[in-house]
Amino acid sequence: MSLFKTRDWWSVAIGEDEEFDHGCLCIGNIDNNPDNVDKIIIGSFHGILRIYNPHPTKTENGWSGYKVEDVMVEQAFQLPILQIEVGKFSSVTENLQLAVLHPRKLAIYSVKAISGTVEHGQQYQIQKLYEHNLQRTTYNFCYGPFGGIKGKDFICVQSMDGTVSFFEQESFAFSRFLPGALLPGPLKYVPRLDSFITVSSSWHVECYKYQSIAAASQSPGVDETQNIKSGKKIVVDWTFSIGEAALDINVIAFPQAPSSILVLGERNLYCLTEGGLLRYMSKMEFDPCCFLPYGSMTEGTINYIVATTTKSLLVYQDVTLKWAAKVEHCPVQVKVANFQDLKGSIVTLSDDGHLQCSYLGTDPAIFIPPATDARDLNYKAMDAEMEKLQKKIREKAHKAVITPNLKTDDDLQITVHVNQHLDDGSSATNDAQIPGEKVPSITARIVLKAKTLVENIHVDIHTSRPLTSSQHSFTLSSLESGKSTELLVQFYMKYCSLPSTLSAEVSAKYPSATGAPRVATAKIKLPLKLVMKPVFPVKNAEHKLTIDTNKPPVSLNDIFPDLLGENAGSAGAALGFQFFGGPVVTILASKSSQRYRLQCDQFEAMWLPLKDLVGRLTSHLNRGRSGDFKASFDGSLPLQEYFELIEAHFEYRMNAVKCEEMLGQRASQFRVIQRRLLTKFKDKTPSPLQNLDTLLEGTYRQLLALADAIEDNNQAQNNTSDNLSSGTNLLNYLIKLWLDLTEEEFSVLTSVITPIVNDNHQHGWEEMVDAAVTHLLRTVLAKTAKDTSINPAPLTIPSDASKVKKHIALMCDRLGKGCRLIEGLRERSEHKQKLPAPKKMNITENGTINETPESRPVDNIVNMKYNENKKKKKLPPLAGDNISTNMFDSETFGLPVTDIPDGDNFNEKRRQKKIEAIVPNLDDMDNQDDDRNINQTDSQALFAL
Amino acid sequence: MDPMFLAYSYFRRRKYQKCDEICSQLLEKNPYDQSAWALKTRALTGQVYVDEVDVDEEGIAEMVMDDNAIATVARPGTSLRKPGTGQGLPSQGVRPVTNSGRPVSGFVRPGTQSGRPGTMEQAIRTPRTAHTARPVTSASGRFVRLGTASMLSTPDGPFINLARLNFSKYAARPNLAKALFEYIFHHENDVRNALELASLATEACQFKDWWWKVQLAKCYYRLGMFRESESQLKSAIKQQEMIDSFLYLGKVYVRLDQPLRAVDIYKQGLEKFPGETTLLTGIARIHEGLNEMDDAVKFYKDVLHFDNMHVEAIACIATHHFYTDQPEVALKFYRRLLQMGVYNTELFNNLGLCCFYAQQYDMTLTCFERALSLADDTTSGDVWFNIGHVALGIGDVNLAYQCFRMSLASNNDHAEAYNNLGVLELRRGHIEEARAFFQASFVLAPHMYEPHYNFAALADQLGDLQSSYNAAKRAVDAYEGHVDSKELIQQLKQHFTLL
Repeated sequence: MSLFKTRDWWSVAIGEDEEFDHGCLCIGNIDNNPDNVDKIIIGSFHGILRIYNPHPTKTENGWSGYKVEDVMVEQAFQLPILQIEVGKFSSVTENLQLAVLHPRKLAIYSVKAISGTVEHGQQYQIQKLYEHNLQRTTYNFCYGPFGGIKGKDFICVQSMDGTVSFFEQESFAFSRFLPGALLPGPLKYVPRLDSFITVSSSWHVECYKYQSIAAASQSPGVDETQNIKSGKKIVVDWTFSIGEAALDINVIAFPQAPSSILVLGERNLYCLTEGGLLRYMSKMEFDPCCFLPYGSMTEGTINYIVATTTKSLLVYQDVTLKWAAKVEHCPVQVKVANFQDLKGSIVTLSDDGHLQCSYLGTDPAIFIPPATDARDLNYKAMDAEMEKLQKKIREKAHKAVITPNLKTDDDLQITVHVNQHLDDGSSATNDAQIPGEKVPSITARIVLKAKTLVENIHVDIHTSRPLTSSQHSFTLSSLESGKSTELLVQFYMKYCSLPSTLSAEVSAKYPSATGAPRVATAKIKLPLKLVMKPVFPVKNAEHKLTIDTNKPPVSLNDIFPDLLGENAGSAGAALGFQFFGGPVVTILASKSSQRYRLQCDQFEAMWLPLKDLVGRLTSHLNRGRSGDFKASFDGSLPLQEYFELIEAHFEYRMNAVKCEEMLGQRASQFRVIQRRLLTKFKDKTPSPLQNLDTLLEGTYRQLLALADAIEDNNQAQNNTSDNLSSGTNLLNYLIKLWLDLTEEEFSVLTSVITPIVNDNHQHGWEEMVDAAVTHLLRTVLAKTAKDTSINPAPLTIPSDASKVKKHIALMCDRLGKGCRLIEGLRERSEHKQKLPAPKKMNITENGTINETPESRPVDNIVNMKYNENKKKKKLPPLAGDNISTNMFDSETFGLPVTDIPDGDNFNEKRRQKKIEAIVPNLDDMDNQDDDRNINQTDSQALFAL
Repeated sequence: MDPMFLAYSYFRRRKYQKCDEICSQLLEKNPYDQSAWALKTRALTGQVYVDEVDVDEEGIAEMVMDDNAIATVARPGTSLRKPGTGQGLPSQGVRPVTNSGRPVSGFVRPGTQSGRPGTMEQAIRTPRTAHTARPVTSASGRFVRLGTASMLSTPDGPFINLARLNFSKYAARPNLAKALFEYIFHHENDVRNALELASLATEACQFKDWWWKVQLAKCYYRLGMFRESESQLKSAIKQQEMIDSFLYLGKVYVRLDQPLRAVDIYKQGLEKFPGETTLLTGIARIHEGLNEMDDAVKFYKDVLHFDNMHVEAIACIATHHFYTDQPEVALKFYRRLLQMGVYNTELFNNLGLCCFYAQQYDMTLTCFERALSLADDTTSGDVWFNIGHVALGIGDVNLAYQCFRMSLASNNDHAEAYNNLGVLELRRGHIEEARAFFQASFVLAPHMYEPHYNFAALADQLGDLQSSYNAAKRAVDAYEGHVDSKELIQQLKQHFTLL
């Protein structure tokens, strides 16, 4: 983040693939030229030493930049160069020499100029003065007039293990260990104190006096060697904890500023006095790389430049940011140098070898944003496009729901063939959960055929409970065009409940050529014999249904050739089927009249046989002729039985809600106890737990028990859902037969009283059906205009199922009166209306239900609450009782008489009792005292930190 | 070239990956190489280091399990929970607020986004947005992410097995312990072990190193033991005044909901370190949180005096100027940010709005165009909303309508867009749609007063007085000073009494 960038004066990219780090850049008048111009000295990790003397000339286009003449010396050493410094390292002269640090060697060179006749004829030579071979791998070195000697610079080399070796020019002085060294830090010499400053691995700034280092020899008589093994501990002069590792140290000795030590940490900058006290610090919001202090014009302040990893140079005066400028590269070292034409130039070196001499200026750091789609505007085309889009938007705006266009040309086709016969060996033996039955299975062949190359096909097989398939999904990596592939799947009954449908669905998901997801589906029709087996007919059964036809009766043996079993030899007037693990359904064919009767102990179990019977009759009798076979139903609708199914299903739903409520309560109780416990444990002074742990465990058990109860309830609810689904199908089908509904009307009916029973937390079957039926009653089935107001109530779980039962009954009644489910169809003929409707049913003539309170059956429908009280005194004759006894000429219409004979409150209590019974009593927990004690101590140990 | 030297050099240049590789090789050769071990811990820490001062996300778990007793009914102006009425700040009608009732800040920081739900139930029930399927969860999620990042870098298990570490041995060695602590705290994110090491280490150095005390405080803070944290920090400051100590202490007081005390601490720090921008920013943030905009801006200006490249300060001042009817001044600040190299959707969006209100219409659309070209899924909704706003300003209702639809297309939780769409639908006479839009708006953002009031006004016209009254009440709850809502309530009350 900066407004400006540095102005480039002279720059050069050094070498190829060479690495540089802090220490590789040095500034100094190395050739001891009398004009006292600084030269730039660079040494790389690859061992190449370069000396530059930049002197660009000003041209019209700015500075001329790098020229070949600027290179004074370029020399390759065999060893990597870790650090270079310029100082008075020779004992002979006071001239400046070059000290070069290699991993195991320290060498001093002098640079001499041999002048030629012209300017570019001048030659420079590097001459080695002396070198020291070192025993340890070096890290860095510092130099200075150690011990206060004037005009000479001694050298102190720090090695990677924290040993410091001192060299008094040509001779080795001594080596010492720095205490507590692990990784070496920056090292600097403070001439005023005659001390060394470093930052140790324990992240302290440490100051050692030269004298105390020198005096800490092991024993006076022994000769000093580099190869020391041990030594006395050096006494530290002062330390200051900065709590982070340091990148660099600089010692300030400017005339205007108080002499101080600047330490650049990884995240902060510290300014310490020479006595080791903090003068100020500054927390940086960026990662610094290196810094360089320089003299300030203002009295008593220090200026310094900090280079950051965000490629900027920040100029601070004490803690105030004075200037920020962008640089091209992230520097590893920054220096200030005086050149011929430019005093105080900033020299930066990046780690990949970009050397730059620059100065600060007000050139804006211009970030040029990428141009946004600059194209020539064609107003005509734009107008046209706009028009088009507007039109589209207007069109779409009218249709709130945008239906996607269905494309018929699918790339993938699915065809399914179901085997004629059941499998020889049932594949259901292991999986089926029906006790005591050998459940058969049937194999279906699914053929996938692709028109084009289709990849990544995912085939899913959906079955509804209790049916299941041997495999639920297949994945095909690819299918070539024109080829087909076959999948074999076995279907069988898994659970012990009534199937509501005998079909399964295959869907294949695949991406089209354009990448859009596509789905192809196919339906599988499974035969009745998959779920039922032939048994002997049963004479008496609780529920009976009679179907009228317009054809003379046929022998049942002819139409059920595959399900005869032991009945094969009989006359064909009666057949019995049994669901695997379920009830027996008996089909009777009347000998004289054109009627068929189904009977069973379980009402909803008759659905599949009935459907199958009608289906088979239709195909049998219509064979080869025009389809004039018609089945009809003119008994009373078995609403009473149907309502019992609803009631059972609803009770399980209520149970589930209750259980969940309790679970919620227990869970929050659990949390509260946990919180209390936590506070107790966190307390510094341990206090008794006051049996909270017992409570916790008890609640935990209750939670588990409740969860089990919910699981059980779910199972039972699923079973009743299946039953309800079958029952709904049956009822719908009977209504269809009864009123001879068209297919269109039938589809409306099935979508209103939906056989798909899918309960979730938000809404269940009862309220959905109720809402749908109410809607029908208020719209197409409405008697008066007053009825037609639409005011949909939110879907909430009702307190009892009476409302939905009432509305279904009302709907059936209105349908019986000749109302049509689809507007615009003519009223049904009179005789149809009269046939099923009982004479006493004048309830709904007046439209609104509440307007005929004097009629008894209406009371039954409307005022359940009121009725309950009444019923205790005198039970009215149940209309439902008449149905089965007098089946062939029954006139009564199955109205709901009552929903729960024993009243709501009782039911409620029973439910509650049931739930409470599952939950273990807290008192039972007393015998577990031992456990508790252990728990207690454990947890205390845990928190006693 | 010595590999150890090279590794150390890479570490200096912050090339942690390379450093880590070399150290691993060294450790393979010699598993007892202490310096390589120490360097590797530091390199691994450097990869994931986040300054702890800036990490301040307060999650559900922290809030609910936080049992530090804090006055629930604080005096106005002394608590961040219940920001005071505030002087000198533009009313809510001008400057929108976040769902915690504070004015929208000019700079997104950790903690400015989430509100403070009171209970677990409430927290879980907060509306999920299109961007987060879960309610704004705790800091721990963020820390866990940091922790998993570290696991990735070492495929064959963690570098240091903390369970087998003898802490007392390491605590006695100051040159290893500090790097190890930072590794455990930042890289492994194992606060309990870090705490154990820190407490042993501070004991080992006879409680003489302030650094260990600050680290202890950091651990206590993470563990929610703010009082312990406070006492450690106080002791550290007594020993050696450092900026970080003041910052942490201020943070502790903010968490304890004592903003004024935190300001005191920051000021105490400023006495020692005059001109420290982090401390000044801390004060400014607290004033902003307390709705004291004038003070906040004053301190942000102080920050700029010492660091004129401070993006947060510039952005906050610009926002303040924008909402105090000085779009030209705000424009200047935003332009400076642009010159400094900030280049993102938000900035161009703000520039576009400033241009519009400063009547520099030629630049407005260009700015928005740039904002859109830079926008991603999370921001494009806001940009479209603002373009819609501009369209409303120039009277192009159709464009506005479509912009708001676009806004909803990219972010279907944009409550403001719902509200404005509702108003537009109402103008077109589609009452049912308008009602639905207002309803959607105030369900999504109950802290906004506009949809409440709009709904109330509409219901009043339709004769649904009860819902009108309820909605108007909610509007006044959200914004106490809203005159129209109050008048509506007054009117309704009169009506009810007549009945």
